[in-house]
Amino acid sequence: MKKYDLLTPEGTRDLIFDECAALRSVGETLRGIYTSHGYSEVITPGLEFFDVFNNKSRHYSQEVLYKLTDGKGRLVVMRPDSTMPIARLMGTRLRTAAIPLKLFYNQTIYRANPKESGRDDEFYQSGVEIIGGDVMRSDMEALSVAAEVMGSLGVDEYRFEIGDSGFFTLLSSKLGMKEQELDDLREYALSKNYPALDSMLAQYPDNIYAAALSKLTRLFGGREVFPEAEKILPEEAMPVLKRLEEVYDNLCALGMGGEVTVDLGFVSKTEDYYTGIVFKGYIEGYGMPVLTGGRYDKLIADFGVDTPATGFAVNENAVANALLKRSGGILLPASDVMIYAEDGCVVEAIKHCRELIGKGLKAEYADLADKSEAEAYAKARGVAKLHIVTKNGITEEQVQ
Amino acid sequence: MSENKAIRVALTKGRLEKDTVGLFEKMGFDVTELKEKGRRLILNIPGQNMEVVLAKAADVITYVELGACDIGVVGKDTILEHGGEYFEIADLGFGRCRFALATKKGLDFYGGVGVKTVATKYPNVTRRFFESKRMDVDIVKIEGSVELAPLLRIADGIVDIVETGTTLKENGLAVIEDVVPISARLIVNTVSMKLKKERIEQLTEMMKAAL
Repeated sequence: MKKYDLLTPEGTRDLIFDECAALRSVGETLRGIYTSHGYSEVITPGLEFFDVFNNKSRHYSQEVLYKLTDGKGRLVVMRPDSTMPIARLMGTRLRTAAIPLKLFYNQTIYRANPKESGRDDEFYQSGVEIIGGDVMRSDMEALSVAAEVMGSLGVDEYRFEIGDSGFFTLLSSKLGMKEQELDDLREYALSKNYPALDSMLAQYPDNIYAAALSKLTRLFGGREVFPEAEKILPEEAMPVLKRLEEVYDNLCALGMGGEVTVDLGFVSKTEDYYTGIVFKGYIEGYGMPVLTGGRYDKLIADFGVDTPATGFAVNENAVANALLKRSGGILLPASDVMIYAEDGCVVEAIKHCRELIGKGLKAEYADLADKSEAEAYAKARGVAKLHIVTKNGITEEQVQ
Repeated sequence: MSENKAIRVALTKGRLEKDTVGLFEKMGFDVTELKEKGRRLILNIPGQNMEVVLAKAADVITYVELGACDIGVVGKDTILEHGGEYFEIADLGFGRCRFALATKKGLDFYGGVGVKTVATKYPNVTRRFFESKRMDVDIVKIEGSVELAPLLRIADGIVDIVETGTTLKENGLAVIEDVVPISARLIVNTVSMKLKKERIEQLTEMMKAAL
């Protein structure tokens, strides 16, 4: 007996009507931004070898990957990310492309989330990668395009947050911790688990790096964090702070001061993946960032080409859901006219339909053989006008 | 803009709820609705622009993680068992107890070469504990009184929350190793932490001061 024939797997869903419209509209808005800035699109396979996602600078744990085997028994995964396939492309076909290379993508991502967590296992993600180029200049471009994306989403309220992975990397490296301890420290800093972080750092009394780490994790907000940070950071971390402040000032100069915040406590989820300026975008009503990005200078070297890079990714489904909620779930306008053909008038009706479409109307042909059925159908579809095509010409009816 | 927005707090029903309501009272909040809640599950704290949601422990995590609630009070036991992505910003100190490994009194749990069976309500905590010891164990999930499992001879030991140890003692069991201490934690949705920073920091400081 079939048990699952009417279900979709957990974490997946059918998108219908307005849901598709919302998703496509987000995708088109973002595509417009990317292409107008001169980014070129790439589409990578939905299936990739497991090895692509298991590198030194970034790896996906087995639990989050959808895995299968190919015809030769090799381990293949459903793409959990687009940046690593693009890094692979850089190591192969794009090896000789003009640098800096600005790419964008818009494709589905697959992640096996913990059971019943309420998160999507499949979602559309779009984003850009800037490969090569001057670090400061390309950081600024990635940030400004990302900020433009956030501003274009049409949500009521958003925040654009910047940080730098360098603080944690630098300060934690001075503590001489063993790998496991460092992993724990990273985990505590990442989850802003202040009690655990502080009790761990208490092993280092009178250590300026430990003290700075503890305070830094709590340091996020507006411009006021910079003078605060200056007081607590050791000399070595000053260049990182100055650079971040410059970025903050630049974003303000670009008119984004109201939405930009700073989190000095940023930590890479996987060890050393991010290597500089990082950023996130938040919208009201979605419990996770909808945009994440930052500098990742080591990843592409894992594929044989040592070049710096930065980029970001946007969860389009999350944004589309927020838009749908905001609009009360109605984005798709109904057709302007419904066309019903009496017997023997099918060709006339189709011609009439084409004519109306040619005039810029949205005209829908009712595939029904009974007029009262066509009226009921027009009503159900929310179409206000019904054109009845008869052998004696066309009459118009208002749909009640 | 967002600083005067309503804030929604999820409390773990039962003891942690009572302790947190007591804390709110000490902070000078009007907790009449919370004390006379009847069967309502969403309650107001007048004058604070604050809503309180009462939920089972694991649901507190779900609501906070998904952003339905900004803040939650939940035991470390539930955090360890369920995981998830949120900020865990304060140890509230109450609801203190511990996870411990217990066996029938006098049994040498680590002795012998056989694979041991451990009964627990917390399979993830148990699995991680033995993984950290690089030890294979069979885990049996029990919903009710875990102490029964060794007595009925389906398990060599149990991993469970221990407060005073009275239940263990009365059933001829004894703690042989502490796994991890537990207390109530304040968790925060990662986006709320940024969008409602001042509000959340202020509330956290007030709660910590009243402890």
